[in-house]
Amino acid sequence: MSKACEKAYRLALLVVLLAAGVLLERAGLIEYLSDPFEIDYTLRLMGQHIRMVVVSMVMATALGLMLGIIFSRPKFKRYTGVIMYVVGLGQTIPSLAVIALAMSFLGIGFKAAIFALFIYSVLPIARNTLAGITAVPPWVIDAAKGMGMSASRILFQVEIPHSMSVILAGFRVSLVINIGTAALAFLIGAGGLGEHIFIGIDLMRYDKLLAGAIPTTLLALLADYLCELLGFLIIPKGLRLQQET
Amino acid sequence: MTNRIGGLVFVWLIALALVIAPIKVMAEKRIIIGGKNFTEQYILAELAKILLERNGFHVKLKIGVGSTVVRQALESDQIDFYYEYTGTAYTVYHKQSDRDVMTHKERCYEWVKEADSKKGLVWLDKVEFNNTYTLIMRKEKAQELGIASISDLSRCMNKDPGKLIIGVNSEFWERPDGFKPLMKLYGFRVPYDRVKKMDSGLVYKALKEEKVDVSMGFATDGRIAAFGFMNLEDNKSYFPIYNPAPVIRAEVLDSYPEIRPILKIITKNLTTKEIQKLNATVDIEHKQIREAARDWLKTKGLH
Amino acid sequence: MIFKSASSASIQAIEGERIGNVNTLNFIHENADMCWTLTLEHIGIVAFSVFLAALIAIPTGVAITRHDKIAKKIMNGANIFMTIPSIALFGLMLPVLSLIGHGLGKVPAVIALIVYSQLPIIRNTFVGIKNVPPELVDAGRGLGMNGWTRLREIEIPLAIPVIVAGLRTAAVMNIGIAAIAAYIGAGGLGVFIQQGIARAYEEMIMTGAIMVAVLAIFVDASMALLENILTPKGVKIGRTLGQ
Repeated sequence: MSKACEKAYRLALLVVLLAAGVLLERAGLIEYLSDPFEIDYTLRLMGQHIRMVVVSMVMATALGLMLGIIFSRPKFKRYTGVIMYVVGLGQTIPSLAVIALAMSFLGIGFKAAIFALFIYSVLPIARNTLAGITAVPPWVIDAAKGMGMSASRILFQVEIPHSMSVILAGFRVSLVINIGTAALAFLIGAGGLGEHIFIGIDLMRYDKLLAGAIPTTLLALLADYLCELLGFLIIPKGLRLQQET
Repeated sequence: MTNRIGGLVFVWLIALALVIAPIKVMAEKRIIIGGKNFTEQYILAELAKILLERNGFHVKLKIGVGSTVVRQALESDQIDFYYEYTGTAYTVYHKQSDRDVMTHKERCYEWVKEADSKKGLVWLDKVEFNNTYTLIMRKEKAQELGIASISDLSRCMNKDPGKLIIGVNSEFWERPDGFKPLMKLYGFRVPYDRVKKMDSGLVYKALKEEKVDVSMGFATDGRIAAFGFMNLEDNKSYFPIYNPAPVIRAEVLDSYPEIRPILKIITKNLTTKEIQKLNATVDIEHKQIREAARDWLKTKGLH
Repeated sequence: MIFKSASSASIQAIEGERIGNVNTLNFIHENADMCWTLTLEHIGIVAFSVFLAALIAIPTGVAITRHDKIAKKIMNGANIFMTIPSIALFGLMLPVLSLIGHGLGKVPAVIALIVYSQLPIIRNTFVGIKNVPPELVDAGRGLGMNGWTRLREIEIPLAIPVIVAGLRTAAVMNIGIAAIAAYIGAGGLGVFIQQGIARAYEEMIMTGAIMVAVLAIFVDASMALLENILTPKGVKIGRTLGQ
């Protein structure tokens, strides 16, 4: 029974891929991208897109980790609830609104886009860092204290590794949202793959539209997958085993 | 048990609503006006809306999309009419490039009227102002470089291709009467990374904030004068004539022939100066479109 | 329109920028009816799609509680859809839906919102039902309830707060995505942002951005309240005792 299911599944997948291929051809995407000029330009837009994402993510990760760690220290522990609430509130603000507001304050162009993406990406990282560190079981920290570890060693060798999977989950959400939001950056004059998408919608040019939408989607899926791989690298083996069982 | 009855009543109500809604829609004289994504289109549609409403129509606006989209919406009966520009219809939809026709007001209008009548679309009388595309620069910058016409720009670009950054909206970049053929006619090229494509509304802002040095503009836009920009002379008369006219589906006009005389009021009264002033009140003074339209009709003694 | 009396138009523009915030309030005041219409439209789109999404996702979530393997597959699938950026999804759907004449407008927006709602609702339904204490299910069995009755009388009522939490996540997320859908002609509050950008009209952009954000926060808070109300008293007492 399950073998038949598997076969049907594969067949369906094949049919879907075929249909997609035909649709792409009908939409003129293949022809569009066989023009070396256009593919060069698409790559350039993708470069802009990736640059926006990378720059804003590096800054956001640094700040997010820092905020998360600072507010998990005993000194600030009583603010944890408030911070979590504010961050959660911030996350409900739609991405388009953040992008548009950034333009109102910083004018048009790359700078405003980076700023908006940065602000928007800090929140999930800070939230998860804070949540992850607060969730480290007290007995683990007690054990570390018992071994005579200093506060900073406890932070870097116990608390952070212990909360790595939660932090990484935050990073992953942040990155995927960032890639999607960067597609809106065209609206405030910062280019990126969104340019193809919005121009395609404006002019009903399916080839352009798909030349923007498909790479953006693939970029997001790839980033999501890479984050999963990254998990194998940076989450300590012992903890991973513990989670799986 | 009561729960289940409540659920049934709910589902039934929804079904009822779905049945009733379309009947109510059919009962009135309904018109959907389309429009593109820049101020003048909002104003034209609003003027038409006010006048039609005064004549007992129930009017809905569907504005804010690109030219191709609005045209498709008209052809697929999603809207009833919108204001189209003669040059746009000639070059973009009918893909013509006869310079003699497209730079001649009457011939261009007659040509598209004729061609569209075969598609069941009627061009009503055109409005006399010409909202052509234009290239604009900041006055100081243009004077500093000694640029007054597009030929001057071409010369400057050929000397140093990386010198000036050009801002265009997506539509102008792609159109057959847009930027690419313009470069060809005037004999210059702009490197890819020197062209910034952006939303129509951003080009003036970008030029003002010195993010770009040359940008496209619409001749009737009030911001050109207000922001201290200057038009570059189209000395090889590249740009076609763009007179707006309501393009309406024939079947709609047949059922409501009174639309023709109603819209004529706008056609007769709206001059280049007046539309520039109207555009400026909306774009610069940020007056509400409806208010601006109503005020204009009042000054004409029409409202 | 504070500076109506100023003679030069360009001076007005400059002054307008300086007092942007005051003007935003002015804008809202002067366009109150438009604000209302668009807000209602926005709520309508989101409510309608969350309602339809729930019709699909809750039964799915319930069904997969009985098959863990399929559950994982389905949730992975929903997760992949969730990863697709919204504007890209609109782009991908446009050529396909154009075949039936609905490439633009509310139809693709609602479809996208339904797609994005699947993961939070399915996941929460699944988790909610899985977390019902097995003793209670056994008790039901002891009372002679069959599978369906147990589901209806015990598992679903106990899972409802968690399911509502899923609906809440979906609704808040959809408010943001619906704003982007203004670019494919779906209407709603995104229209303020879209038109504002197209007309370089700061106050309009601010109005749109603020209203969308406020709507999201308001819906988030009120659904949280609903979640609280719907949690059976017994469960709440159980929680406090458990602590």
